[in-house]
Amino acid sequence: MAERTLDCLGEACPIPLVKAQKAMDEMAVGDVLIVNIDHSCAMKNLPDWARSAGHNVEIEEVGEGEWDIIIEKAK
Amino acid sequence: MSENATSSIRRSARAPRETPEQRAKKRRIQLSLGAALIVGVVLLGFYIQSQNPRGAVIWAVGLSFGYVLQRSRFCFTAAMRDPVLTGSTALTKALIMAMALASIAYLAIQMKSIGLLPADLNAENLDDLSTIPGNIRDVGVHTALGGFIFGIGAVVAGGCASGTFMRMGEGFVQQWIAVVFFIIGSVAGMAMLPPMKASGILYQEGAIYLPQLFGGWLPAIAVQFGMLFILYVLADWYGKKKAGEI
Repeated sequence: MAERTLDCLGEACPIPLVKAQKAMDEMAVGDVLIVNIDHSCAMKNLPDWARSAGHNVEIEEVGEGEWDIIIEKAK
Repeated sequence: MSENATSSIRRSARAPRETPEQRAKKRRIQLSLGAALIVGVVLLGFYIQSQNPRGAVIWAVGLSFGYVLQRSRFCFTAAMRDPVLTGSTALTKALIMAMALASIAYLAIQMKSIGLLPADLNAENLDDLSTIPGNIRDVGVHTALGGFIFGIGAVVAGGCASGTFMRMGEGFVQQWIAVVFFIIGSVAGMAMLPPMKASGILYQEGAIYLPQLFGGWLPAIAVQFGMLFILYVLADWYGKKKAGEI
């Protein structure tokens, strides 16, 4: 089980999502992707997309206006 | 959106960035700053009211709008972009609902200002469409062109006008840069308007006002809400198809 971190701090709304989608394509089932974000919009669309794609998602607030989106590839 | 105490996803352990004491201290600072800000906002409201008889109302509506926008994570850019990017149409449907609600309110305001009878909608009465409340403007190539350029800018900057303002307040510094160029772009756009109007290709004179076009309120209402309903059904179908439910 691999773990990968994607630094998207300072990236505006669609970029974290696009980067995460590309990273997920390269990962195997069971791998975990951690995306660091600080754009509030990505806190909504990234988990929404990952959930609709069937992955396990958790959001962790690591600081004021800074979040980790933790996605476990499920399929 | 708080942390999950029980995590089902196994991940490598990380040292917490702040001690509980630091968190508690930050929280105290934030609460006192918030209280000071509310007092400041109310005092500013009194000052604005002294300058403009409707100032306080506009101030309150603006602040409420910002609050709702921030809390709901409503985003006009995402409503147009997410169907393409993620296949999610939840925001698109919310936007269509918002347009329907705004249509009802504007319908009432315009009916009050124009009059209810079909005769009130005749050409002499509505000679100058700019007198009707609700920004009825010329429509043509310039509308599509401007919308396209605005769309590129909104996606690159990470937000449209309201979204940029909202995230400026949230402290996302990139939007402070975006807003500077937003202003520069708006000024440039206004400066380009006279040559655009003169070109004859890029700008078409003439606004379309549906009640006038169809010669009555009822057909206009039917077309307006019929179109919004069709868009809503399409968005719903597309969202379900992308999510694999159909």
